[in-house]
Amino acid sequence: MDMITIPAVNLTPILPEIILSVLAMALLLINVFVQSSKKTYLSYISFIGVVGTAVLVGSGWGTHIESFSGAVVQDNFATFFKMIFLLAAGLAILIADQYMEREDCNHGELYPLILFTVVGMMLMAAGTDLMTIFLGLEVMSVSLYVLAGFNRANTKSNEAGLKYFLLGAFSTGFLLYGMALTYGATGSTRISVIATQAGQMGMSSGNILFLAGMLLILTGFCFKIAVVPFHMWTPDVYEGAPTPMTAFMSAGPKAAGFAAALRLLLIAFPTLQADWSQLLWVLAVLTMTVGNITALRQDNIKRILAYSSIAHAGYALVGMAAGNSTGTAGILFYMLSYTFMNIGAFAVIILVGKKGESNGNVQDFAGLGFKHPMLAVAMTIFLFSLSGMPPTAGFIGKFYLFSGAIQKGYIWLAVIGVLNSAASVYYYLRVMVYMYMKDPTEDFAWTKVSAPIALCLVLSVAGTMVLGIVPSIILQYAQEAIKLI
Amino acid sequence: MSIPILSILVFLPLAGCLLLLPAWNCRRLARPIALVVALTELTLALWLYASWKGLAVNPFPQGFLLLEDAPWIPAFGIRYTLALDGISLLMIMLTAIVFCVGLAVSWDSIKERTSLFLSMMLVMEAGIMGVFLALDLALFYLFWEMMLIPMFFLIGIWGHGRRLYSTLKFFLFTMSGSLLMLLAIIALHLLYAQQTGVSSFQLQELLKVQLPLETQLWLYAAFFLAFAIKFPLFPLHTWLPDAHTDAPTAGSVILAGLLLKTGSYALIRFGYPLFPQAAQMMTPLFYSLALIGIFYASLVAFAQQDMKRLIAYSSIGHMGYVAIGIAAWQPVALSGAIIQMANHGVTTAALFCMVGMLDERAHTREIAAFGGLWGKLPLWSFFFLLFAVTAMGVPGLNNFVGEFLILAGTIKSSPLVAVLAFCGIVFPLIYMVRLVQEVVFQKERQPLSLNDLNPREIGILAILALLDIWMGIHPAPLLEMLHVPVQLLTGGTP
Amino acid sequence: MLGAYLPILLLVIVAIAFGLVSLTFSSLIGPKKKSALKLSPYESGCEPVGTARDRFSIKFYLIAMLFILFDIEAVFLYPWAILYKKLGVFGLVEMGLFIVILFVGYIYVWKKGALEWE
Repeated sequence: MDMITIPAVNLTPILPEIILSVLAMALLLINVFVQSSKKTYLSYISFIGVVGTAVLVGSGWGTHIESFSGAVVQDNFATFFKMIFLLAAGLAILIADQYMEREDCNHGELYPLILFTVVGMMLMAAGTDLMTIFLGLEVMSVSLYVLAGFNRANTKSNEAGLKYFLLGAFSTGFLLYGMALTYGATGSTRISVIATQAGQMGMSSGNILFLAGMLLILTGFCFKIAVVPFHMWTPDVYEGAPTPMTAFMSAGPKAAGFAAALRLLLIAFPTLQADWSQLLWVLAVLTMTVGNITALRQDNIKRILAYSSIAHAGYALVGMAAGNSTGTAGILFYMLSYTFMNIGAFAVIILVGKKGESNGNVQDFAGLGFKHPMLAVAMTIFLFSLSGMPPTAGFIGKFYLFSGAIQKGYIWLAVIGVLNSAASVYYYLRVMVYMYMKDPTEDFAWTKVSAPIALCLVLSVAGTMVLGIVPSIILQYAQEAIKLI
Repeated sequence: MSIPILSILVFLPLAGCLLLLPAWNCRRLARPIALVVALTELTLALWLYASWKGLAVNPFPQGFLLLEDAPWIPAFGIRYTLALDGISLLMIMLTAIVFCVGLAVSWDSIKERTSLFLSMMLVMEAGIMGVFLALDLALFYLFWEMMLIPMFFLIGIWGHGRRLYSTLKFFLFTMSGSLLMLLAIIALHLLYAQQTGVSSFQLQELLKVQLPLETQLWLYAAFFLAFAIKFPLFPLHTWLPDAHTDAPTAGSVILAGLLLKTGSYALIRFGYPLFPQAAQMMTPLFYSLALIGIFYASLVAFAQQDMKRLIAYSSIGHMGYVAIGIAAWQPVALSGAIIQMANHGVTTAALFCMVGMLDERAHTREIAAFGGLWGKLPLWSFFFLLFAVTAMGVPGLNNFVGEFLILAGTIKSSPLVAVLAFCGIVFPLIYMVRLVQEVVFQKERQPLSLNDLNPREIGILAILALLDIWMGIHPAPLLEMLHVPVQLLTGGTP
Repeated sequence: MLGAYLPILLLVIVAIAFGLVSLTFSSLIGPKKKSALKLSPYESGCEPVGTARDRFSIKFYLIAMLFILFDIEAVFLYPWAILYKKLGVFGLVEMGLFIVILFVGYIYVWKKGALEWE
């Protein structure tokens, strides 16, 4: 009887994923066995787990290991993105406990779900096979659907969960269909094989099957990263989801979507670059413009940041449309900066908000600058960074992305980009106008700043400023990370 | 020289902000700290002035007296480069003086959130110093944007009237202009990298780029837009009257005295040298906008009821002369334009201070509310008359020197413009005389019981008045300081 | 390349056409005699009781979902059982991990009280 030969399996590339999965399962069990209404200890355990994993991921910098017959890879690109995901998860875990306690929905499942999301995102960044990427995407998405609807007693949260689930499932259909067509055209789901097949058979935009496959895959990712016109779910989901999860969703999964999309477009579909580059040009313009213009009219701060997050996806698309090394490295850097500044801003929103998701309008920030100077200073830094003012991380990020576009010759794209930036300044400034230039409408019943949130704020401010003043420490890593692509 | 004096000039105010932190809630302590920092800056600037001839013996390339250079973001080729020549030295001195004036004039008037106010002033000073010293375009852009943020808060928090509207308008106007400049900077950097294979943002390096005329025109247009908004040139000036009127006195002083100068300075330092042909081609446009600005702003100034708004419009007119002096791009006119920047900075700062002092006493700036102040506030009226006469361009006072040089230089290259501009000189005479007549001399229109100037105010005004007179009578040392850089810029031999 | 799919396309067309044609013709040609009895909803030949839109207890859904979750996973055990010897130790370990993960879920569900009816 002949044995089935098992291909050599190297677990190193997915060791972080394994560790986080095991930790998540352990937390699930701990949660049901330990009878305690407080879940703070779970947040500590998961935070330590995330930090430990980050150390492990970081130690793999500079290595290139393929495993599972080339379905998963550990390279600098994946490592860089994995660090972003872990950062987003770590910061989100820090701000979650106090919020969940206040909203009476402190269920222990939150932390395992966050960790599973991270596992999914990591697989997306490390996947070099359409199936792996899809698997990661689903693990991430299913956990996120639950996280969006986590506040069961709140109708808006329910709405967010359901909407996200329906549209997410819909977009997954597109993605899978695109993958099927690509497989049909090239006979493989392995990214590298797709590229060689396409190169050998001279498949470019003339091949309808191949082109349609790429377009559908792109559509699927556009849903995930909230690109106009596939952005309709974003404001409702971001507004309804528990604030810490909104913070997490706007940073982590967006970066994961960019990671997978970048790898696919640049490695699997370089022969179609002329097509997707043009397409992304249009999408970037639409996304930036619609996001910013709609944000101008919003009053709810979570909605403002939701639309601003759409606009920021648009800026990152500028780099993707350019598709050159500057633009691509720009995306990496931008995603990292965005994680710091956006989660930081959401941390402030959590502290200003009150039970039942109330106190979330711009008007409720009135007088914050003098009631709670430190908090307001932190918010000011995040907002200036989001609007791209130097010397913050947001400026360097935009600088990088627009450089990529100009280098590629997309001058007008860059011009539209900066005009959008100028428009966006208005709604960020509006928050600051309320914080510093208006008197508070009522007395502040102040919620205490818990130590974890304080830590999150300190980390975010430090990240935003350090990346803005001495970006070189990260730039070189971003440039290393995209060398393979 | 081992002491990085330029870096100290830029970063000392920021360090001053940190010094303010322990005294955050103690107004009595915070004010002296800030003033000491500003005075130290002034001392440094004056010390540089005293020693510039010594430094000029052994200059850096391109005639720079001092140069500090270090890598900052090597991945992009961005360097931390500060440099000082005669032009920036003059601007630095102006900055240091205007900030001391700004702090002194708001000594008593800012009663709330004083520490925040002081720290905003200091951040602003750092930003403006940086703009006048930076030689790396990315670094320049950093400072250029950095000075907007404190001004946004200064107008928004301590302003009056429609302060929120004004501050947002100011911020959005200036920011949109500078963002396009950022793109142009990036484009220039990429073109340089394409031609030489090295990436750099340094002015001296970028000067070597060979640009086809069309590219040059586009890039120059982007730079020009950013600078013209700050200047402000005619159709882009609408933020200025609002911002000046609604800003607190110190804010108006800094806006008029320094912020407008950053636009003209940047045009001289970056715009013309980087894109000479394009600038040459755009000269007619530049001339006409400047002339329209002079006439239009003067007419509008004549119709104002609010003293502060009147002076704000007069600023647009006076900056029009600076614009003409730059547009002529000829040694005499250019020196005149630079001198005029300093003159206007001192004079307008003084006028804004004086209106602020009156506003503090009478709580109104309506021209129609006053009259007959000569009898009631003799000291105030004396100084006001002096500065008004300066603004009119009377010989012996500093504005005359600047305007004379500008017109004398311009008449060689474009007589028509010079003649028209000369006609424009009449306007300040008209609206200033009207202002002085209605406020100082006319019969008292309503009884106001006002106190005359206190010693602090007399001190501020006396210093500014002395500067006006000194620069009017004996501008030679300043002109001598400007000689080398101006010759280098206009392509002559020093 | 797309030509390979032509038979499938033909099959789809024929299937749709067959259904449409037979439905159309039966409704056109067939005799129609309506009576109250014929039009009433069919419920095992008895008189209908209550409304057709009744609500089931949510517990049914929960149990049904859990059943599907654990039941479907059991499908994986069959191919493994058939190839057990060929897969060897590797297969055993893999399957063990698989069962452990399922088991964790099972314990979680159990402790959470999802299996209790009341």
